[in-house]
Formats: sequence, C-alpha cells, structure tokens
Amino acid sequence: MKDTFRGGVHPKEQKEMSRSASLREFRPAGEMVFPLSQHIGKPAKATVKKNDPVLVGQIIAEADGFVSANIISSCSGTVKAVEKRRTLSGMMQECIVIDNDGEFRETGDFGTRIEPDQVTNEQILERVKKAGIVGLGGAGFPTAVKLQPKNPDGIKYVIANGAECEPYLTGNDQLMRKEAPAIVEGMELLLRLFPNAEGVIAIEDNKPEAIEAMRKACEGKGKIRVAALKTKYPQGGERSLITVIAGIDFPVSKLPADVGCIVDNVGTIYAVQRAVLYNEPLFTHVLTLTGEAVKEPANFIVRDGTNVAEILEAAGGLKDGATLKKVLSGGPMMGIALTSLDVPVTKTTNGLTCLLEDGAEVAEKQMTACLHCGRCTTVCPNGLMPQMMAEAVEAGDLERYEQKLYGLDCIACGSCTYICPAKRPLTQIFKQTKAEIMARRRAAAGGRK
Amino acid sequence: MSTLLNVSSGPHVRDKWTTQYIMTAVVLSLLPATVIGVIHDGVHALLIVLSSIIAAVLTELVFDKIAHKPDTWKDGSAVVTGLMLALSLSPSVPLYIPIIGSIFAILVVKCCFGGLGKNFINPALAARCFLLISFGRTMTAFQVDGVSMATPVADLIAGKAVNVTGMFMGSTNGVIGDSVLALLIGGLILWAMDIIHGEICFSVVIAFALFVGLFGGQGFDPRFLLAHICGGGVILGAFFMATDYTTSPVSKLGQAVYGALIGILGALFRIYGSAADSFSYSVIIANLFTPLIDTYIIPKPYAYRRAAIAAQNGEPRKPLFQSIPKPVIVLAVITLLAGGGLSGVYTMTKDTIDEQKAAAAAASYRVVVPGAETFEKSDAVAAKLEELAGQVYGSSFGRCYINEAFEGKDASGNTVGYVASVTTADGNDANITLAVGVNADGVVNGISFTELNETPGMGMRCGDPEFTDYFLNKDVAQFKLIKGGGASGDDEIDAITGATVTSSAVVNAVNAGLDFIHNVMMGGN
Repeated sequence: MKDTFRGGVHPKEQKEMSRSASLREFRPAGEMVFPLSQHIGKPAKATVKKNDPVLVGQIIAEADGFVSANIISSCSGTVKAVEKRRTLSGMMQECIVIDNDGEFRETGDFGTRIEPDQVTNEQILERVKKAGIVGLGGAGFPTAVKLQPKNPDGIKYVIANGAECEPYLTGNDQLMRKEAPAIVEGMELLLRLFPNAEGVIAIEDNKPEAIEAMRKACEGKGKIRVAALKTKYPQGGERSLITVIAGIDFPVSKLPADVGCIVDNVGTIYAVQRAVLYNEPLFTHVLTLTGEAVKEPANFIVRDGTNVAEILEAAGGLKDGATLKKVLSGGPMMGIALTSLDVPVTKTTNGLTCLLEDGAEVAEKQMTACLHCGRCTTVCPNGLMPQMMAEAVEAGDLERYEQKLYGLDCIACGSCTYICPAKRPLTQIFKQTKAEIMARRRAAAGGRK
Repeated sequence: MSTLLNVSSGPHVRDKWTTQYIMTAVVLSLLPATVIGVIHDGVHALLIVLSSIIAAVLTELVFDKIAHKPDTWKDGSAVVTGLMLALSLSPSVPLYIPIIGSIFAILVVKCCFGGLGKNFINPALAARCFLLISFGRTMTAFQVDGVSMATPVADLIAGKAVNVTGMFMGSTNGVIGDSVLALLIGGLILWAMDIIHGEICFSVVIAFALFVGLFGGQGFDPRFLLAHICGGGVILGAFFMATDYTTSPVSKLGQAVYGALIGILGALFRIYGSAADSFSYSVIIANLFTPLIDTYIIPKPYAYRRAAIAAQNGEPRKPLFQSIPKPVIVLAVITLLAGGGLSGVYTMTKDTIDEQKAAAAAASYRVVVPGAETFEKSDAVAAKLEELAGQVYGSSFGRCYINEAFEGKDASGNTVGYVASVTTADGNDANITLAVGVNADGVVNGISFTELNETPGMGMRCGDPEFTDYFLNKDVAQFKLIKGGGASGDDEIDAITGATVTSSAVVNAVNAGLDFIHNVMMGGN
C-alpha cells in the first residue's frame, strides 16, 4: 500500500479551534425547514401537508424512485407550509416548513437495540433505505443505492472515510473518538453485504486520538483495520482513498464499485449502525461550527432543518467586534459560500466555517497572467494538466479539453486553484466548462430524438 | 444579520505563493552571482545591473500606462528579466547596451506579445542575442584591466588549458554573472524550493556533458567536461534561462526533452560551431520548440495510464520498467540518437573534408610559391612544428598557431621558396587560416586564405585582391597595420575600414608565418 496519492496540497489545517471540543447536542427553538432535495437523485415527495402534526423521526417526504431518499423530521410540531424557501445553495427550493413546538416528541418506534445477529442482510438494506441515509461526506448519494452494486461479491474493500481532509472541520474526528465501537459495528454490518471485502477505516495522521480510538475498537475484528494516511488534501476524496488503499486509479466514468470499492463517510456508517440496530432514522448529524469569526467553535450533533443563524448563536455567536466576511457550508476547499444565514442545514452540511477573511477575494486582487509554472499540474490528484485545460478553454477548443486533456475527469477539488501563484480561478473555469459540455451533450441528444 | 456576505466559488483559501513571491525568490537566488560579479568586475558592473533593471521596469511601467494595462510592472518579472540580461553581459560594455537590451526585452519580446506568460522566447536571452547582432564587437570584448582577453571557453575551443577553479569563483574573464559556484547555489536553492524544474536544468547539464564527452574529442575526462560545463553560460542558461516558465514545456516529460534539446544544441554549437556564446542561441531555439512539445507531449491522467487500466481490470501490477522514470529513458534515447546520427555524418564526411582541406592547402601553397613542383620539409622544421603543435606561436602575434611549413622545390630540386600555414583565433567571427609565401631570397610572395569566414562586406574583404596584394613582393621582415589610412612604407598596410579586428588578425598571422619562415626555416637569413 502506498502511503499517499500523487499530488495534493497542504492548506493550513486550522483544526485547533475546534478539534478538542466534544460533540454536543442542542435543541433548536425556531422553525425547521426541510428541503425536499438533500441528496443526489430525484427530490423526495412530501407526505405531509399544511397543519399536519409531526413527530421526531417521522418520514415527512418519501423517496421518489430508486435514486432518492426519505426526509425525516427532526422536531415535533405542525407543518406550517410546503413552499419554496432559500436553501444553502442560495437557490429557492421546495421545502417542508415545520412549526417547532420545542418538545421533540418522538414517534416511539426507534431507540431499542436489537443485536446484529438478529438482523438479516435484507433488513440491513431495508432499514438503511427507510432511514433516509445519504452520503454524509457532502455528496449526499443515497447509501442504500450504493450498498447494492451489480456485483457485491466483487467488492474487495469497504472504506470508512474518516480522513476529514478539509481544513477547519473536526466533526468526524470527534465522532470517531466518541463512537468508535459503534462505527466498527456499522462497518461489520456493511461487510456482511460484501463477503469478499476487507474493511478499512482511513484517517489522516493529524487525528492521533481518533486513530487510537478506532484501533482499539478494531481489536479482535479480523476483517477491519485502521489506515493512518498522510495529512494532505484531498486525501478524503473517494478516488484518493481508493488510490491509496486499493492501489487503483480510475476514471470518473467509473464508480468505485466498478473497481471493487465502496467508500462511505464514518458519519454515514455511524448512521447505518443507528438505523439498523436502533431503527433510528437519519435526522441528526455531526457539524463543525468554526472559523476565526466564531466565539466558541464547536462540534455539534445538529438536527437537520435547523437554521444556520441559530447554530451560530448556540456557539456563542460572533467574536466581539468581528465582521463576518464569508460563511461556508463545509470547509474552505470545497465548501459553498452562503448568501444568507437564514437558511436551514441539510443532512450533508458537515460544517459551517465563518471567516473573517476571504482568501478568494484577496486572490482576485493578486491575480496575474498565467506564468506556466506548472504547479497546478503537480498538485492535481488525477494527474490532469490544469494549465493546458484553462488555455484550451480560453482558446475555445473544447475538443482538446475533453479528448486530449481529459478535462471531464476534473473532480473540482480546488487544489490547482489553491496552489496557483498567479491566482487564476482554474477550478471555477473547469466547473463551468464541464457544465457547458454537459449542456451541449444534452442538446445534441435532444436534437437526435 | 446585516452584513453582506461574500459569495464565490471555492476554494476559499489560497496558498501564500504569489507571482511576486516567485519573482522575488528568483531575484534573491541571483544575488550571490550578482554580488560576486560586482566584486570581481567593479562598480561599472553594478551600474550595468542597475541600469538594466531600471530600464526593464520603466519600460513595462510606461507600456502599462500607454496601453492602459493593469500595473503589471509590479509583479517583479521585469526585475528578473533586467537582472538576467545584465548578468549575461560583459562587465566592460557601456551603459547604453543594457538599457537598449532591457527596452528590447520588455517592449518587443514581452509586452508586444501580450506580456507576462505570453512571450515565446526568453526576453533576456532574446535581448542578449539582439545586442550580439547589433553591437557584436562591444558585446564580445572582454577586458581585464583594459586588456582584451579571451574567455575561458574561447581558450577551451582553441584547445588550451583553462582555470576551472577561477570559473567556479567567477574570477576568470567572462560575463558579470559567471561565478559558477554562486549560480549553482542560487539555482539549487530554487530547485529545492520547487520553483525551477529539475527536469529542465539537470537534463540540460546531463545532455550537454554526455554530448561533449562523446564528441568533444577528449572523452569523459572530468576536468575537460567540468571546464565545458562551467564556461559559456551553461549553468546560467540551464538553471535560470532554460527554466523560464513561459518558454518551457509544462509536462515533466516535455521538460526533459526540452532540456536535452538545449544541452545537445549547446554542445553541438560548442564543438562544431565557432561562437563561444552559442548557449544563448540553443536556449532560444529550444524555446521555439516549446509550443510543439506542449502540443504533443501531454501526460495521460493517472487513471488512463497502462498500469492503472491493468489495475482497474484486476490484473497484477508489472513493476518492470516502471521504476525507471520515463523522462530518463527518453533523454538517453534522444541523446544517443542525436549523437549517433551526428557521428555517422561526421565519419562519412570526415575523409572528404580532409581531402578537400589538403587540396585547398596545396593549391594555396602553389599560389604563394609559384614555380614549386613539390613541397618538402626538413627534419628540423618537422620537429619544430611538432613542438609547437597546439601552442600559440610567439608572444606578439595574438593567438596564432603554425599548422604547416614547407620548402617549395622546382622540378630540378632547387629551393624556390618557403610557405607557412597559420591559423589565428583572433578573427572577428571565426578562426582564419592562411598561407604566407616567401621566395628563396626572403621576399614576401603573397598570401592566400584557406579558411576565411568573416562578416561579408566587412572582415570578408580581407580576401579581396585590394587587400592581399599589399603582401606581394615586399622585402620586409614584418608588416605594420595602420588604422585610419595613410599607409606609405612597404611594410605598412591600411586596415580595412569597419574590419580592423579581421585586418589585424590577418596581419598578425602573416607576421607569425614570416617570423617562422625567417627564423626557423631560413635560419635567420
């Protein structure tokens, strides 16, 4: 096994602010908003309407089709509306708005543990699906779908992604420290679905406590081991993990399962354990509220649908006299900048990073012409040539971009933009170009019909 | 919350390195060489450096203002260009040289092609070559304490021993930035900081050394190789000029190919060419190949390489050959192919060239010793020639070498005259070889060139009868060159206007030949 992948960058980790803050729960008081689309795939279909009473753990929107996921209420109260609300992405999206009564009454059909040997493999999949579990690393791919590859016997590795390579974020670190045995139990459940697979818990070596806790929990579990990986971004990208652990580089046109790997975030695996053994649906998840602007950076077990401003208040609000410049959903490398704090967190919001300084804004002022220094080519984890790709886009040569330079294999990790001394907005160009090529393809396909 | 939040696409943090940071690092890495250059070459060298940098920055500033461009002069790249140009100049050039050079580099080569990152050849080198063409003599005049001297590489080409330690320290005769040690320190720091690419600088040096070793005529003699590497701007070129980002390829493999190309071209010009400062040209020629290399050498993403595809299909990995980096293999193959091809051509044509040279020499001998049927030499003369082989003849003729000397005899065996073939390394553009003849009484019988490759219309006019006829039927021991006209005596010769260097070299060569004939062959009669 190689100790790391090729390329990558090492931004300032900035994890000290919150890395030793234990996980804590808090109960929001305000209204709760649940977007119907919190996952990859079709939006869920609302099963409640205005004035319906709801309980914690109740399904309020159902998966619509195979690639979709249930939405679960995290509070009790009454449905206030099903309407368009602003979400994290800045767009107006269809949401279920619940008037939170603050009592958090539960449905009562979850919470009692059953032992793993009393659960069948079919039940595992069924409960994961019903619980509305999606990839909590950020992508939000429905987990039940991921756990049903074409050839389950061909899966060699189930990788628990505890790398947490995004700067600032520490939620998974704390989760692994606190819930190591539960995560290992979740991993064992997954391994039952893939008889030929080995379980690997991948953690960056800047989290010694988590590595220690997970190693201890793995003792005596022959098929599961912990891999301590070099701290380097994007170590937690599923491709990077597979390169390191399975030794396979593969194009974006293939899925991890095609090369015998299943990668799930440790948070997701924890959710699987809760769903299968406690019948608990997914309505809470780990979230790091951090950044230079925050008074008391914290790691929360946060309820889906909670208002961002309310979470910030729970962490003591802003530092005195601090002027908030930028708030990110996620970390600074791949996070999405919020347009407003009056938006709800979703299942996949693993961090809220509140910044006093905007690196992107500073960079814009320092921007010069491309020097051709080639630093972008050395950091690309996929071995692409970002400099040439940007030139091809500039020249309008999308064919070269796609065919010669494999531009569509860009995973938008941001490493090239991060490293660029000329401060070129490379990742942004590639995201845009990808969207344009896809749009052209759709148009071409539509034209043929 | 009343504050307006910044919204932009990620990433939202950036590395601390900026364009300015890199340019500053390059300037700092050149400081040791600059300081040593100024210590050795004096205040005038410092003035050259300063005027070059100031001219470069001012040119960009003025261009920015006139063209309404953002303030690109602040990015530091103009400072780098100015400094590099200065370091590649002779410390004795007048100050207008670096100023004109910097203006040319920035205005024509950089700004007119779109500024930073858009120039197709290295601005500093382009300016240097522009200056070499425009102010040839001023640019190549290397003086130590006011006395013109040859650079180590010129000596090396002429087959003389050179002071390698001096080259390391920068105390030999050369450009301002000629301390190999200081340049290496700066270059290696840049390499360690990952600012310049090892693929380029090391392949330049390796390919150059390999080629010189294979075809330089002295094998892999470490002192000889080191002398070649340390001279003629190879280190400055490899670490600072060739590694210029804009004009070098982006891919690692492309960089290695490009580096090898520079090394091979540099060695080729050095061994088979005539100009000592040819390394600039090899970098510029390789610059021109960069777009081609970048078009065709594009490394595949990791996932599409053969080993990765095998791994995706579950095949076991084959470690064979993968442990040797591809650039190394390519580099070796290119060097061998180029070298093999050249040596083949050289071997095939060598005999013919030698025959032609001999025929040309014989023909020139007959011109200057008319009536001779055969050319012979006594054992004493042969021994003297043997003794002089490869050494400068006398002390007052510049760098002249006696190649051959014969006694011309008529059909009945009587001596009708003497001839000496002399090569001088003091030509303006290249070596000059000529034959000088004397009749049996010691009267000079004329000269004839076997090798004259000077500037047409200038130095080349030394081959015209108007000039060569001066040497006909003169009963003198030595000739005197008169600059500015007005030659009167038999021993006085007017220099050709605009070609005094060539004229002087020719007269010195003639005098060397006459000296040899009179003192060695005729025994001082």
